Amino acid sequence: MFAYFIEAFRVLLANRTRSILTVIGLVVGVATIVSVQVAAQGMAGAVSGIFKGTNANTFFVFPKASQGNVVRAALKLSDLALVQQSVPGVASVIPFSRAPSIVDAGHQRVRLRFGGESDKRFSTSPLVAGRTLDADDIARATPVCVISDNALTRLFPNAASPGSVIGTSIYVGSKRYVIVGVFGKTKIDTAALGLDISNDVAIPWTTFYNNYQRGSSFFGISVLAEQGADLKKIEKQTQALLAQAHGAQYQYFDFGFFAQTINGFFNIVGLIVGAVGAISLVVAGIGIMNIMLVSVTERTREIGIRKAIGARRSQVLLQFFIESLLLSAFGCITGMLLGVALGEIVDRGFIARISGVTGGIPWLEAIVIAVGFATIVTVVFGTYPAYRAAKLDPIQALRYE
Amino acid sequence: MNERPNVVIDVANLTKTYASGELQVQALRGLTFTINRGEYVAIMGPSGSGKSTLMNVLGCLDRATTGTYKLDGIDVSQLDDNQLAEIRLKKLGFVFQGFNLLARTDALRNVTLPLFYAGMPAKERERRALERLTEVGIGERARHKPTELSGGEQQRVAIARALVNDPAVLLADEPTGNLDSKTSSEILGLFDRLSASGRTIIVVTHDEGVAKHSRRILRMLDGVIISDAPAGAPV
Repeated sequence: MFAYFIEAFRVLLANRTRSILTVIGLVVGVATIVSVQVAAQGMAGAVSGIFKGTNANTFFVFPKASQGNVVRAALKLSDLALVQQSVPGVASVIPFSRAPSIVDAGHQRVRLRFGGESDKRFSTSPLVAGRTLDADDIARATPVCVISDNALTRLFPNAASPGSVIGTSIYVGSKRYVIVGVFGKTKIDTAALGLDISNDVAIPWTTFYNNYQRGSSFFGISVLAEQGADLKKIEKQTQALLAQAHGAQYQYFDFGFFAQTINGFFNIVGLIVGAVGAISLVVAGIGIMNIMLVSVTERTREIGIRKAIGARRSQVLLQFFIESLLLSAFGCITGMLLGVALGEIVDRGFIARISGVTGGIPWLEAIVIAVGFATIVTVVFGTYPAYRAAKLDPIQALRYE
Repeated sequence: MNERPNVVIDVANLTKTYASGELQVQALRGLTFTINRGEYVAIMGPSGSGKSTLMNVLGCLDRATTGTYKLDGIDVSQLDDNQLAEIRLKKLGFVFQGFNLLARTDALRNVTLPLFYAGMPAKERERRALERLTEVGIGERARHKPTELSGGEQQRVAIARALVNDPAVLLADEPTGNLDSKTSSEILGLFDRLSASGRTIIVVTHDEGVAKHSRRILRMLDGVIISDAPAGAPV
């Protein structure tokens, strides 16, 4: 059996240009499918990585966009207390604005936003100096702020270290805020995701409300559930509570839902690319069959010689079958390696830059895909040429010019 | 039991009919003869006489329509394709006019081919093949490809390949048809030598010069044997 592999290998090597051209289709097909697998795996890792820093116990509630009475549905300060007091398992409730307010701070413009307690609901950046906003800041609406690395470089271009700006003040219009904390570089490029959850300067949302938004309504509210609470249940209860209080409709979503949506999207992309790849593999398989048929015709005399010498049908069949097998195995393995490499480039170069997380290489899937396709292509497209070779009549074959 | 241990080919009432469209072509019309072990026989006849058909049947490449053919005591008339392949592998060696060597394969590996199909280990195959190549006087050219060999050398490789399985019968079809006269006489000399060492050789030819090397000539015309006489006898 091993001798047949050596024999087939010699034949393919003797026709190496043709052999390589034959398998290019297969290489491309397998590479496409495998690279999408690798990228999808990277994306899945990235999605879970993005939300690792955020509080998984958080969800957002806001009025449904398509309803008649927008005014009646608008969420107000009183709703925060209502949810906090009426829904069991709620740790805290804060409002959130859809877009950050762009305000002037000295000669610079910064984006000011709501800050919540311990500031974990919107930001995944690490704290590098000072402290986060705390419950006291929120309760007393203190004039303090925490700033991002971005604001630090813009507002304090000469700062020696993040720690050196703690205690200094920034002015936003006529209001003064004391810096109590500095956040480091976010590992997630949220802007690239179209999801800007990191802003320049965060002040206690109560302070924000008092200074800029008094009496107006919120875009939505963010609810932090207690550790271990049933998030789904609290979400439903909150939604029902607000619906009853306002006589309007509300929707909510949490990070799990968000992650699911992104993963779902990539699954669909994977399916589509998989289908296209499968078609390209059929085409590649037909290419291999075509070349093997040409090879059988070309080598008719050789087959005649082999049969005259005493090769049985099964031996000729095996020889050509193994040639097909080697061709497709070579194509599929090369395609697999190429696909893994391409997938890694996408993963490291693009996905990891957004998420800061690299997904592992799905070797098992890659190998299963490569071996699977090699087997299918060989069996489906290698059998017929081998059969044609095996059933040649030796006398006719020897006479073939 | 084989009651005639000396008979290696035993043909009785052999016919071969080809269906060529509407037409039935009778290529062999009832042949009966025997060939003994160690004989050197030439089969002669003009084209269309049926000598190639007979060669194919004797070589187990084709089956007779009726009649019996016993090769080395085995009735091969009713064997299927795989059984015939087995017979060709074990009992027969072919030498063709066009040499029929595998082009991209060196002499040694051409000669090992029958042993490969017989399932012999690689080392043993090469040892035996080299032995045969040396026997036909071309051992030092074992690693050359057919394209690097002269016609005579190629035919020697083909003869080595035909002999490597120690066949009961060596069948040669116009073995000197593609060779010049000097090389031809060398190859015929080799046949003489093989015959002298006890090989059974059947040569199909239309060349009297080739035939006169044999000991016995079967002359065919229109599918029948018209003469069966020792070489050198008047035609």
